[in-house]
Amino acid sequence: MITVEKLTKSFGSHRVLDAVDHRQERSESVVILGPSGCGKSTFLRCLNQLEVPDSGRITISDVTVDCARPVPREVQRQLRLRAGMVFQQFHLFPHLTALENILEAPVHVQGRPRAEVLDEARALLAQVGLSDRAGHRPSQLSGGQQQRVAIARALAMRPAVLLLDEPTSALDPELREEVRDVLRRLADDGLTMLLVTHDLQLARDVSDRIRFFHGGQVVEEGRPEAVLDNPQHPRTREFMGKTGGG
Amino acid sequence: MPERHPQTRTNQPLLRGLPTTASILLLLLLSLVRAQADLWSEVQSRGVLRWGDDAEGGAPYIYHPENDATRLVGFEVEFAEALAARLGVRDQFVQNNWDMLLPALRQGGNFDVVIAGMERTPENLAKADMSRPYFVFAQQLVVRSNNAAWQSISDLKGKPVGVLSASSSHRLLERLGGFDIRVYQDNVNYFRDLEVGRIDGVLTDTPIAQVNLAGNDRLRAAGAPFEPGYYAVAVPAGETNLLRRLDTAIEGLAADGTLERIYTKYGQWSATQEGLRTWQPPVEVVRRQRSGLREWRTFLPMLLRAAVTTVWVTCGGMILAVTLGLALAIVKQYAPAPLRWMAVAYIEVFRGTPLLLQIYFIYFGLAQQLGLKLSAGAAAVLALGLNYAATEAENYRAGLLSVPRGQMEAALALGMKQRVALRRVLLPQALRISLPSVTNDFIAMFKDSSIVSVIALVELTKEFQIRAIDTGDYLGLGLMTAGIYFAMSWTASLGARRIERMLHHDHR
Repeated sequence: MITVEKLTKSFGSHRVLDAVDHRQERSESVVILGPSGCGKSTFLRCLNQLEVPDSGRITISDVTVDCARPVPREVQRQLRLRAGMVFQQFHLFPHLTALENILEAPVHVQGRPRAEVLDEARALLAQVGLSDRAGHRPSQLSGGQQQRVAIARALAMRPAVLLLDEPTSALDPELREEVRDVLRRLADDGLTMLLVTHDLQLARDVSDRIRFFHGGQVVEEGRPEAVLDNPQHPRTREFMGKTGGG
Repeated sequence: MPERHPQTRTNQPLLRGLPTTASILLLLLLSLVRAQADLWSEVQSRGVLRWGDDAEGGAPYIYHPENDATRLVGFEVEFAEALAARLGVRDQFVQNNWDMLLPALRQGGNFDVVIAGMERTPENLAKADMSRPYFVFAQQLVVRSNNAAWQSISDLKGKPVGVLSASSSHRLLERLGGFDIRVYQDNVNYFRDLEVGRIDGVLTDTPIAQVNLAGNDRLRAAGAPFEPGYYAVAVPAGETNLLRRLDTAIEGLAADGTLERIYTKYGQWSATQEGLRTWQPPVEVVRRQRSGLREWRTFLPMLLRAAVTTVWVTCGGMILAVTLGLALAIVKQYAPAPLRWMAVAYIEVFRGTPLLLQIYFIYFGLAQQLGLKLSAGAAAVLALGLNYAATEAENYRAGLLSVPRGQMEAALALGMKQRVALRRVLLPQALRISLPSVTNDFIAMFKDSSIVSVIALVELTKEFQIRAIDTGDYLGLGLMTAGIYFAMSWTASLGARRIERMLHHDHR
């Protein structure tokens, strides 16, 4: 489903990603952990071309890009259509209601008839537990509710894979659980997800596999119980010690 | 008051000193009043007669000779010289905007008299005293040479005819009625507009026609001069002593041939000027002090009609400004390099040069150099729109820049093309942010639109000027005009606030 080969990215002289490989099957849910500045967010943003990598190959579903050459805009867009994105800060469109946020891309990007999408959008809102908030604007919603709408918005485009960049980090601890709950159910339903997070609870709940980033490379990976409870690499151990199990 | 008060008297009752103090004050006051009342003795003691005129008046009145921009010549310059000499003093020219010469004279400005082709009319006599005439002129119709049919002013009924603002030609056409009167600020530009065909005729004073027709084969005088009138020296009201001296001096200059010599030199002497020698004042001069407020039934409709012009020029200009401004902002922010530079250049040029200059350029410059003959209304809308577009572009850009970066990323991540992201996500947010600045500019443009009066478009401020010069009532008419401007901008800002509230509510 996702294949990444030797993805490299530098900001100036600082090499953020150092020939990172990544393979992920359909319905597999992978969590990337790592200290701040380890390149994990950059990795995610490279996958849907919000950052332009220096070199490497990315394949998501049926679209492959060779990052060593300039990527045509249309190819970038095709890649993005296959990889939905959920941001740490939600980035809902403030001038639209929750329902309109979900309708926006299917109607104005895919050109699907509004009436047809409407039922789907309502079903998605129900799926994230916000049926009664359809007419609310983002400013009238709590952070947790906003993030759940953002997840529904991304799913409305039926992406092959959902990329989530620290989906619970901007939330108060008591609001995190509602987002975790939604993500747990999505993982159980077999959605292919790639998450970057500091939230160890979330990592334990939704991942089939954890990859630990350090210095722009993967230094350890394995089953969640193995990486979380019995880390091998000194950096991983240090990280678990500090973060303290979530 | 030579009597000295010994020190010992200071402890006497205060009242004792009062008669002395009062008489000193009275004397001071009297001397002040006398000094004010008699401008003639002031001129005498100064040894200089200061005369006000506008050096932009042009040939043959007052102008710079072709090879010397520091010197002034013209029949009025030489007349003033001869007049002062006859009074036994020197003359000194004082520059003042022509429109404001009489108001400035009345305020006790920095000149004693006005010698500026000022006509001896009841309107002017209501604002100042006027000497016996020193020059006879008449109305001359000027048309294009290639039009043989038009021979008199009645042939131009319903056609656009240019006149000088608040001149006797202007008043004559208003009195006759039925003309499309185009009002100009100076005696040069209406001939240009006549040549390029924006107007079909110019009605002007004979000296102006004479000078401008010389060597110009594209224009011709149509019919004989008519409606004679007189130029006279304007004196502050009540200065009878000075007025008498001036009358005597002018009579002398007419009798001894000085005027004939000067006017012949400038090609202005004709048989009609002989009348200067025998001129007698009309038996009774009706002096009307007019009040715009008392006569609001006459003036308010005039001002309101002109306000309609202000409204459509402003609205037209603003529509152009907001649409062009939006395009400029998007190009400056998102287009590739060469296009972006063009937008930047446009914005900087139009923000960095005066609106007045742009109006002249668009109206006169384009017509002259490219033959692009815009109507005054179109030129006004274009100038205001093009100028404000630069400001609006920056307003929108500020709005675009204040939309968080994540919004664009979220839109792109959903597979939107940049164009769709702009239209569906960024612009709706940016426009809400820039709306208050845009409505501010809309209100500002109501006021800025007054500047288009320089291109023969009579909008509210111009109408006010014309009527105020006619009546001398700057205060009353000014209050009425200000009231209309205020009503317009207030309505605009109420509307704007309503829209803002609606969008704000929508946003929450």
